[in-house]
Amino acid sequence: MQQSTLALALAAALANAPAFGQATVEDKLQILQQEIDDLKAQARKAAPPMQQPAPPYSPDFSSLLGRSLELGSGGTNIVGYGEVGYSKFRQSGNATADLRRFVFGFNHRFDERLTFHSEIEVEHAVVSSGDNGEAEIEQAWLNYKVSDAANVKGGLFLIPLGILNETHEPPTYYGVMRNQVETRIIPTTWRELGAGVHGIVGEGLRYEVGITTNFDSGKLDDPSTGIRSGHQEGQLANARNLAAYGALNYRRPGLLVGGGVFTGNTGQNGATNPALQGVSARLMLWDVHAHYRVAGVDLQALYAAGMLGDADKLNAVVGATATTPFAVPKSMKGSYVQAAYHAYKRGNFDVAPFVRYERIDIKQQEDLASGLLQDPKNIERIKTFGINFWVHPQVVLKADIQRNATDKSQDRFDLGLGYMF
Amino acid sequence: MNWGPHRSLALWVLALGAAGLVRGEVYQEPDAFVAEVFGSNPTPKVLWLTKDIQTQAAAILGHPPAQLRQRHWSDAHKSVWILEEIGKEELITAGFVIAGGRIDHVRVLVYRETRGQEVRYPLFLKQFKEAKLAQGNRLDREIDGITGATLSVGAMERMARLALYLDKKSRR
Repeated sequence: MQQSTLALALAAALANAPAFGQATVEDKLQILQQEIDDLKAQARKAAPPMQQPAPPYSPDFSSLLGRSLELGSGGTNIVGYGEVGYSKFRQSGNATADLRRFVFGFNHRFDERLTFHSEIEVEHAVVSSGDNGEAEIEQAWLNYKVSDAANVKGGLFLIPLGILNETHEPPTYYGVMRNQVETRIIPTTWRELGAGVHGIVGEGLRYEVGITTNFDSGKLDDPSTGIRSGHQEGQLANARNLAAYGALNYRRPGLLVGGGVFTGNTGQNGATNPALQGVSARLMLWDVHAHYRVAGVDLQALYAAGMLGDADKLNAVVGATATTPFAVPKSMKGSYVQAAYHAYKRGNFDVAPFVRYERIDIKQQEDLASGLLQDPKNIERIKTFGINFWVHPQVVLKADIQRNATDKSQDRFDLGLGYMF
Repeated sequence: MNWGPHRSLALWVLALGAAGLVRGEVYQEPDAFVAEVFGSNPTPKVLWLTKDIQTQAAAILGHPPAQLRQRHWSDAHKSVWILEEIGKEELITAGFVIAGGRIDHVRVLVYRETRGQEVRYPLFLKQFKEAKLAQGNRLDREIDGITGATLSVGAMERMARLALYLDKKSRR
């Protein structure tokens, strides 16, 4: 009885409150919220910087106005991507299954302008002296952002050539395997130590320029991949000869058009192979590319080419010192066209069959007297037919069939699973 | 190419000098955005995220909303929602103006990532104009992506859907 009376009295008081100039329940809630916001603001100001790590996302949708300029200091987050693949080879009948990549990275914000970015990659699941696996730092660089138009970066970072090198997470490309042009001509995932400036100007024109370490032609040991085997990957890189790079890319919704260039000497004053002292072995590598997507149709094309100078001198050195002498690549070019159609899209599900045609031309410096000849497998035409099935925008299942005009041993059926976060 | 240290240093100095001439990454403060929409700073309102709203918000975002109250601003015709969502690594802060259950306009207010700034330009944002919710709290149209900014585009889409959904709930 007493409780009922109390409840009735409370209800009457609340109902009558506005009439007596009292705050409504809504008013009180707003006052309480303002007080909470104020307390949070005071707490942020009082706490030393190290004690206020930035949360992964806003702790309070309702207090944005009070912290709009706090761009997150002390925040660290984790990113990652990876892929699993299965390949059955047509000629041999053999099949392999592989945890091809497991990549994770840490990113840290020191203040509103200075950030750190990294990726650590483990390839083929097991890393030991007796296995094929590799563990490597794919990126580790610092970025100082003055504005969108001007960033300065330094460390180990990706070279902005092609489409795939900087955007190589499995859900972002078609096919189980990365395309061969951006593997054998542009050596994705290609990174160098150095410093650069980058930014976006106008409405979507992104520029990148910088100076980095370069390849070391004294380390060439695989002529089938152009210059790739001479990469140094930030591992005690010989840096007598540096390289310069530049890239321009214009992006707008559905469209990317761009290109890049990378050039510098690769002789490294004979640091790896003394016979290369005084040999410039200048490398020039460039590409142009385009990507257009409209009404579910996804079109992509790329052309890349490169020249390696002093190939005759490199031949003489490699012929004298390599365990298995080979004709050094002197020029390389490759191109592909690709078309996909997003045939089914519902919720997170997105299904897109695709076709791709690639041309690879790696010309080697033949030396008939020494028996160094062109490898016919370096002139290749590859057709790929497949399907990507995104079960989530960041998780993809893939299947494809690949046919090679020259090296039939690489004809195969592939299945893949990829993710990024 | 043999680069002397002085040439590298000159490049850095030039870059920093040029950098000092341009704007920062906070394009517009949220309160200025609200004032621009309404011509003044109206009293904010609060939408309490009930269990049902939380469930739907989580389905839209792909993760639970971080809190239970959403501040917004509205008059008889339109509402403003300032939301935040992670692109690849960092939060994007965007303001959404909703009128009649459709997006009137969108603006990126703060962009913190080193890449993907293309999402802040009108060429991208105008795709959201007049967008409304369709079945499953999805947008009634396809938003063309930006090569190399997949995750930032996805974050903008999720926020657009959430703003429309919260607007609908706030007007019940």
